Amino acid sequence: MTMDMELTVNGSAYQVSADPRRTLADFLREDLRLTGTHLGCEHGVCGACTVMVDGSAVRSCLMLAVQADGCDVMTIEGLERDGQLHPLQESLRDCHSFQCGFCTPGFVMTALAMIEEGSAPASEEELRENLAGNLCRCTGYQSIVEGVIEAVRRTTDQSASAQGAVEKRVS
Amino acid sequence: MRLVGAKIPRVEDRRILTGRGHYIDDVQLPFMLHSSFLRSPLAHGRINSIDVTEARRAPGVVAVYTGEDMKALAGPIKPVIPTGPAPEYFPLVTDKVLFVGDLVAMVVAESRAQAEDACELIEVDYDPLPAVVDYETALDPSVPPIFSDLESNVLVTRHLEGGDVDAAFKEADRVIEVELSQHRVADVPMETRGVVADYDDDSGQLTVHSATQSPQGVRIQLASTLDHPINKLVVLTQDVGGSFGLKINIFREDFCVCVASKQIGRPVKWIEDRNEHMIASGHAREEKILAQVAVSDAGDVLGLKAELTLDQGSYPGLPFGAAIFPSLIDVLLPGPYKVKGYSCDSKVITTNKCVYVAYRGPWAIETWARERLLDIVAHELGLDPAEIRRRNYLEGAEGDQLITGRSVSGITSRETLDRALALIDYEEVRSQQQVARNEGRCVGVGFATFLEAAPGPPEMRLGGGMFAGEQATVKLEADGRVTIITAQSPHGQGHETTLAQVVADEMGVSMDQVQVVYGDTRLTPFSIVGTGGSRAATWATGAVLVNARKVKEKVLAIAGAQLEVSPEDLEISEGIITPKGVPSKAISLAQIARQATLGPASLPPGTDANLESNERFLGEGITGSGWSGGTHACVVEVDLGTGAVKIVRYVVIEDCGRVINPGVVAGQIRGGVAQGIGQVFYERAAYDKEGNFLAGTFMDYLLPTAAEIPTIEIEYVESDPEGEIGFRGVGEGGIIVAPAALTNAIEDALLPFGAKITEMYLPPAKVLELAGIIEE
Ligand code: FES
Ligand code: FES
Repeated sequence: MTMDMELTVNGSAYQVSADPRRTLADFLREDLRLTGTHLGCEHGVCGACTVMVDGSAVRSCLMLAVQADGCDVMTIEGLERDGQLHPLQESLRDCHSFQCGFCTPGFVMTALAMIEEGSAPASEEELRENLAGNLCRCTGYQSIVEGVIEAVRRTTDQSASAQGAVEKRVS
Repeated sequence: MRLVGAKIPRVEDRRILTGRGHYIDDVQLPFMLHSSFLRSPLAHGRINSIDVTEARRAPGVVAVYTGEDMKALAGPIKPVIPTGPAPEYFPLVTDKVLFVGDLVAMVVAESRAQAEDACELIEVDYDPLPAVVDYETALDPSVPPIFSDLESNVLVTRHLEGGDVDAAFKEADRVIEVELSQHRVADVPMETRGVVADYDDDSGQLTVHSATQSPQGVRIQLASTLDHPINKLVVLTQDVGGSFGLKINIFREDFCVCVASKQIGRPVKWIEDRNEHMIASGHAREEKILAQVAVSDAGDVLGLKAELTLDQGSYPGLPFGAAIFPSLIDVLLPGPYKVKGYSCDSKVITTNKCVYVAYRGPWAIETWARERLLDIVAHELGLDPAEIRRRNYLEGAEGDQLITGRSVSGITSRETLDRALALIDYEEVRSQQQVARNEGRCVGVGFATFLEAAPGPPEMRLGGGMFAGEQATVKLEADGRVTIITAQSPHGQGHETTLAQVVADEMGVSMDQVQVVYGDTRLTPFSIVGTGGSRAATWATGAVLVNARKVKEKVLAIAGAQLEVSPEDLEISEGIITPKGVPSKAISLAQIARQATLGPASLPPGTDANLESNERFLGEGITGSGWSGGTHACVVEVDLGTGAVKIVRYVVIEDCGRVINPGVVAGQIRGGVAQGIGQVFYERAAYDKEGNFLAGTFMDYLLPTAAEIPTIEIEYVESDPEGEIGFRGVGEGGIIVAPAALTNAIEDALLPFGAKITEMYLPPAKVLELAGIIEE
């Protein structure tokens, strides 16, 4: 048995039928071949599977695909526009935020939701709490925290163009 | 531009940040089948019967294999690197299950869900056997060995001595005896294990997509166990979502998946779920050391006697088992201190638990035990822990050796301690500690010094047998771009960036002209460990550097002949070769490469058109001590109400020689420290007395998050900054020393309560016990 549904993923509209037991993660990875979303635990703890649904970060291993009927879904594949990285991606790259990259989609989508909601944390401590729903085994988190702080700075500080900031850091 | 030493953004990051990484579960092949394993619910038991009739009939099922089915097709499994007596065993269990999670049967089906459903239809009748779960039972001679073809549960023993241990103990004013133990934990990469096997019946080629640290290690072990021609076995590895030593192993599941693909003639995939991963992938670190330290009242450490016991769980790892690790631990245990006499007796035992695998710094207990002992001794003698270290350090002078006979000339242990204490403001911390104590708060400071043999001194490198040397290819392509082929197989270490930095500098081209190729056994040279053992910084870098140099020599010989200039007078920058000081006369690398490729006969006589070099690097040109090392120091505050420990400050002084890319190096250090923090406070791969596993999910096996890991400050002592190949490995130092620095700080905080820490695992309840607030 399948159910018909409509949703938007990374700006493209889909009319599909999905098995009602299929998780959103499996639907994205297997049906749409959007394998950027990763599964680290399939029980809602690691956050690697985080995507944005209608602007909020959700764990796609805990959500059924059919629950996304009528929703606007964004995955890590949706950030880059015309070959141009999103300032968040640039900041994370410039800060050497990640190593193996398996946790990366989850952190990126969690941080993106936070930045887009305009709820930039007041302190590093608060930011660390906000990121505490995502596990990374490689980095010790500091580089990720630095990358997100840098992204918040770049996306809120209009005067510094993202490109200028990149050049400054790299030189 | 000088790329080495600069925080160059990683080449890897564009793909991982855009979701275009290619991990094992992203491998999707036409007609691919999926598999699932039935695992043992018992720690120890005999299989009376197994009925797969229902499973074979289940929807979507293509094949079901029992232990007997599999035995007829593969095995017995023998490690390609023997490390001691090897029990006979097969990919699936044939008679006895040996741990909770042991492999009983395999189902192959059209979908993963169908394979999992069919597993549940398999009926197995077991006779439970008493489980061997702890050291005492394993060492009890009246308990039958878990492997019936071995003589006992003691797999190997080993003895090592240095200096005159009896004389050292005779000279001592006192002998302090302590037993120190560290608990079982697990590597826990965020990506679980997985494999895809794809057999082509026409050619007989078996292609294995493997999430591994060592594609060549996988290839040689698979070929041997499956009796498959190695020249028809290809292992491919792309992005790997972390490993930390786990995925250096070849797993029994790998054999099964390959067998199934060969039998069925279709690709077969297996992706482990997190619960299987926690129960059955691999665990690490369960060891204890009974130590006697002979000291003078003034604080000279004279002698050390140690008895090491390592619990390797059930099956030996592949391609080498845990029995290899005592030979690292016993050599390193006395560390950079002037001990006069030393002995170490080691035992590796088998129990009904999951396989012991390498975990980042698999010898780590030596650092924890030694640095813990030094603090315990200092407290007994009423000395400052800094004082006892300063009194006993080997200075790294010419001719200085560990008591176990390894050269340490050039090490900087003392310098790193001094710098760490200055950075943390030791005296100020001590006076604040007093203030805090007067206010009823509990503050402590701790530090510890480590050595990391990455690559180690010459006698460790060359005597290192299979681990010595590394091959690589550097090739100037027809358009003047450079290809590097490395035996490394990165899983987060950024080798596509760091190796390119080194070669770009050497060849005089920009980073984007250099491509790093790895993870394809048709191209990549043999290495049993691939990326592991912190080898890349020295071995892989050295290998690409010497070969880049060879290629450059050939290129300059051609250019010199063409420009009528001696090759020594030429330099290459941004791909253009010019005589030094005569920039008007120039020829590009691309021109020479094109000519060598398309018109080799037109090259000047006596020059070589083969602009490729793939020599094996055996360590010539490695400078400095060969040791990475350093000191970590931290300040903690213990909450006596809850037992929670707050890490107030954490500083690292690291000497890993010349730093190739500070972003990569800092990431390695911080990641290791975070795992050390996890190991002390949160992580435990716990079993109950019956051998049931108690930490099968991320709700029971706790990994630290961004909220628990503090800012980790790093400073470098770059000994030998200008050395030719002065880069040293940095993968393991962080994790091996962090538990010592932390536990020393906690004991320091709890000293007024008479606390003595002898077990590494310190969850809040244990901290409160140590403070005497709750009963054991
Ligand atoms: S995979 Fe969804 S939270 Fe881990
Ligand atoms: S970068 Fe490997 S898990 Fe985060």
